[in-house]
Amino acid sequence: MDFNLMIEVTPLLVKAAWITIDISIRSLFFGFFIACGLVFLQSFQFAPIRWFARGYISVIRGTPYFVQLLLVFYGGPSIGLRLDPITCGVVVGAFNIAAYMSEAIRGSIESVDSGQVEASRSLGFGKVQTLVSIILPQSAALMIRSIGILAIVLIKNSSLVSIISVVELTYQAQRLIGSTYKPLEIFTLSAFMYVIIIYAVMGIIELAYRRAMRYTTL
Amino acid sequence: MEFDFTPVITYFPTLLKGVGVGSLVAVIVAFMSIVGGLLVAVISIYINKIVSWPLRFFIWLFMTTPLLLQLYFLYFGLGEWILIPAIFVGILGLGFHYMAYNADIFVATIKSVSNGQYEASRSLGFGHAATIFYIIVPQAFIRSIPQLGNNMILMVKDTSVLSAIGVAELVYASQYAISVSFRPFEFFIVIAAMYYLINIFMELGQVWLERETAYRR
Repeated sequence: MDFNLMIEVTPLLVKAAWITIDISIRSLFFGFFIACGLVFLQSFQFAPIRWFARGYISVIRGTPYFVQLLLVFYGGPSIGLRLDPITCGVVVGAFNIAAYMSEAIRGSIESVDSGQVEASRSLGFGKVQTLVSIILPQSAALMIRSIGILAIVLIKNSSLVSIISVVELTYQAQRLIGSTYKPLEIFTLSAFMYVIIIYAVMGIIELAYRRAMRYTTL
Repeated sequence: MEFDFTPVITYFPTLLKGVGVGSLVAVIVAFMSIVGGLLVAVISIYINKIVSWPLRFFIWLFMTTPLLLQLYFLYFGLGEWILIPAIFVGILGLGFHYMAYNADIFVATIKSVSNGQYEASRSLGFGHAATIFYIIVPQAFIRSIPQLGNNMILMVKDTSVLSAIGVAELVYASQYAISVSFRPFEFFIVIAAMYYLINIFMELGQVWLERETAYRR
């Protein structure tokens, strides 16, 4: 192990790790709203709207994220969609994770016993009120858990953005391996950084989960 | 903007060859990751701590770092000592990655097999090793099938990432055709459709397999 080299390249990798974090947080943020929209579309009475949402989720989950990324980045310009690499990473990441996340959100909402809805409705709560003050608090804990798992998937997926030349952690690591010929040192450092990021996310999820557990009836 | 799918049709045989390479990789990786994952799980549960600690570390390391980083490490790391073709590096990388995920599943399902099964088997005269291989592991394996299926579907999609280190699967096979025809959109749409089709078949297969094995659980 060449420790001098490791100390030397740490600032570069830390800087790149911030890009990874930045892309992941932004994708998660936008992805959450798209996912909520997809859940909402699936509750429509008008069937074609539901089919659209189901079809979107099925196609996104059925094709590789990598291909989606290449399609939007290289194929986008021919349909008039020009995005810079980072924006492309955020947008594709958000639309990709939204499909998985809408399933997670729907699952956690459906996990609440239907008796709760009936009880709440018969006590005079409106539909929206039932959703906001009865169902969501009870499904929050499960929702936080499953969104947390997806956040970790998102962080690991963000490494693929290096293919469209965003200088994030994996790209920087690959470039440093190429220039220093010290794969073990660079891999150890960059893997360590991914571990730190992922453990930080897991810690936050655990805290939020414990807080949300107060509202569950389980 | 108008679409022109003629280059896609011209280069369709190349794409099919890519599907072939991808499928070959996927089959080998599926075999390697399931058998290896089972071995890792059995060893890390039943053999002493000195052997099982490194294995647990291996599972943990491969689950917390991205596949692409692992591929780069193997590609450049192994490349330092021996020259091996990218396809072997790809198979090794993807195999280890999913071996870790499968091992994690097997650890959970092996632990879920009731302790009474072990005791009953021992009292009927089976040895320790025989109990593990004839009684515990088969039951755990059947219980793992739904999650293994999910992992294998994810794995098939991840074969596309291998193009980053130059494995000639579907995405990589299209690179030349795209650079000649300047039709990236059409090509990637067709590639996505092919992956989607494979995915649908795998999902159907998974449903069938789960139904077939349900009564054994």
